[in-house]
Amino acid sequence: MYTLAEIPAGATVKISRLESHPETCLRLRELGFCENATIRCITNETSQMICEVCNTRVGLNFSTAKSIIVSPLQ
Amino acid sequence: MVETDTKITLLNVAIVGNPNCGKTTLFNALTGLRQKVGNYPGVTVEKKEGKIVLKNNTEVSLLDLPGTYSLSANSPDEKIVVDVLLGKMPETPIPDAIICVVDATNIERNLYLITQILDLEFPMVVALNMYDVAQLEGISIDIPALEKMLGVPCIPTVASKGIGITELRNVLQSISSYKPTGIRQWTLPQPVQEEYDELVELLKQNDKIRLPFAYYEAQHLLTTPKQLETFKHSYSDETLSHVKRDYERLNAMGFNRQSVFVESRYRWIRQIYKATVTHNKVNHQISIHDKIDSIVTHRIWGFVIFFFLMGLMFQTIFSWAHYPMELISSGINALGNLVGTIIPPGDLHDLIVNGAIGGVGAVVTFLPQILLLFLFLGLLEDTGYMARAAFIMDRVMGKVGLHGKSFIPLLSSFACAIPGIMATRTIENPRDRLITILIAPLMSCSARMPVYTLLIASFIPNIAVLGFLNLPALVLISLYLLGLSTALLMALVFKKTLLKGTKPPFILEMPPYRIPSLKTTLLRMWERSVLFLKRAGTIILGVSIILWFLATYPKLESGTPSEKLAHSFVGRAGHLIEPIIQPLGFDWKIGIGIISSLLQREVFVSTLGTIYNIENADDSSVSLREQLQRDINPVTGLPTFTALTAICIMVYYVLAMQCMSTIAVVRRETNGWKWPAFQFAYMTLLAYVGTFITYNIGLWITS
Repeated sequence: MYTLAEIPAGATVKISRLESHPETCLRLRELGFCENATIRCITNETSQMICEVCNTRVGLNFSTAKSIIVSPLQ
Repeated sequence: MVETDTKITLLNVAIVGNPNCGKTTLFNALTGLRQKVGNYPGVTVEKKEGKIVLKNNTEVSLLDLPGTYSLSANSPDEKIVVDVLLGKMPETPIPDAIICVVDATNIERNLYLITQILDLEFPMVVALNMYDVAQLEGISIDIPALEKMLGVPCIPTVASKGIGITELRNVLQSISSYKPTGIRQWTLPQPVQEEYDELVELLKQNDKIRLPFAYYEAQHLLTTPKQLETFKHSYSDETLSHVKRDYERLNAMGFNRQSVFVESRYRWIRQIYKATVTHNKVNHQISIHDKIDSIVTHRIWGFVIFFFLMGLMFQTIFSWAHYPMELISSGINALGNLVGTIIPPGDLHDLIVNGAIGGVGAVVTFLPQILLLFLFLGLLEDTGYMARAAFIMDRVMGKVGLHGKSFIPLLSSFACAIPGIMATRTIENPRDRLITILIAPLMSCSARMPVYTLLIASFIPNIAVLGFLNLPALVLISLYLLGLSTALLMALVFKKTLLKGTKPPFILEMPPYRIPSLKTTLLRMWERSVLFLKRAGTIILGVSIILWFLATYPKLESGTPSEKLAHSFVGRAGHLIEPIIQPLGFDWKIGIGIISSLLQREVFVSTLGTIYNIENADDSSVSLREQLQRDINPVTGLPTFTALTAICIMVYYVLAMQCMSTIAVVRRETNGWKWPAFQFAYMTLLAYVGTFITYNIGLWITS
């Protein structure tokens, strides 16, 4: 298990769970960051990242990315 | 739906969709110029309405709702959508039908909102917009299968090219006969479903909420992250205590009440997606987008590109606007001369030539620059770059405790603080929203442009610096940067004192890079020029005429024009306030400009236009620029305006809140006078202190 913030650019992973404030979790899920959704990391800078979920690019800061727990694709 | 005597059917249709799905482009394609922009009562979100008449005599009133990802109403903007759909918005009828706009390149995420609207059982049609881009990206959609699963007609459209608009209009003719069949097809785990059904019954009986809205309300109550106490005025006590027990039961059974509904919905969405969409990814294209993103959002290159684009924008505004501005200026002079020959000399002649034409003309000249500013900001938005700018700026905004999302309203405020303040409605956190509202008017808006450009063109020498930039453009950029940096500093002060809070999470959709639609861009520029000319024809004309009167009467029978002006009401008022503004290096004429432009900033230019036209009435061929350069203070014998005075005036205008419309909008957005009064006071103080410091530093350097 890793947090999304640890995933390098170009890697694809699966979301295991969300560990954030309920309001943030709701917004993330509505944007497609659901448990079991596949997520591709596009850029991973020092404090921010862009990833692709449901064919949409979403920009996240590290504190949000750290609340998304991911696992490798089977 | 209403049947009238002449057998015209009236139909209220709302357009709903995710942000960035081309909703407004589709609205423009359907309505053309037959649009009306107003406000929802009590709130300042723009209410865009348009009328279309269909072949079968159906008159459709089309309402463009704000973009939203879901019906959870996280921000004030999204709450509008929910209130309109549930019939809770005063003076807005509940829609008879819905056009759901979907980004065809991104069906899976867009289906989330569609399935929520489907559950409200409205007759609806789905517009699969940007269908051409989807095809280019290798996405193929089985439309008949999608129609079958959702139970609604689906029309492929390319709104920017007008493709699919006729088909959409044809479907609208009989839309009320389409009843969606794909309602609540998603399945919840059995125990959750039982609690859900029970709550729906309770809402029907206790709270008299009719179906299908009771389903929406039940789901909202079961998934809300808010405290239940916040709902005590909206639902009965019995319902709320039942919901509280539901929370406990679901928790005991190991269900996360907030995720279970979203997950169940997404499970069904994935089934639809798998059955209807095939995505043959064109890897080459995707890697180009990835590469662009890795450069424009890079921690160093991102900022280099951002500042290069801003520099380019201001340089272009200066150089491109020059010729059309000269053309308008000479046109206005010719008009003044023509009217001057028709009307015999006297008070009416002076009123029209010096008051009306002189005042309004001075402001209208700046139309080309304002249009170019809107063109650039529109292009940044439509190409998808704006979200990237917000993304990289999150690092800077984070330093002052704000969200990168606050940067979009701030960037829009470069055009006008009013849409900027309205754009803060997308910010979920109320404290951050208030801070953004408080600092938004510090961004240099288009109304400051006439003040800046008049003074820069008159007093800043046109010499080349830093290679491709010249000194006037550099001064202009510095003014914008001064506004931005003061805004960030004030945000930090507010965040540490009045409005303490933690930094909210940053989650922002990055729309795909797109080539902007020429029609949408031109339409937006047209709307803005009409708005600008309307203001010039009403407020500025009125102020110019009043000012002409105040600068002409009481009349001094003999004496030089300057003595006559000093004798007038304006002259007396100006002299009265002179001691207050003297420490800033301003004389009484500048004081009059500042006072009259409390209403709106560009009035400063028309005021100077009127005052100097009266003073130099015998020489109408001299432009305002030359008049300012030649003006000598009779007391000191020195020029009234120097480069330092010009810089001081500009610093004052960067920092001061000289706009009544902004004050009115802030009052409406914050529900009271407290915050606009505070904002006016802090910005005026900031302007006074800032100008005082600039003036004294300037004096020290020049001495």
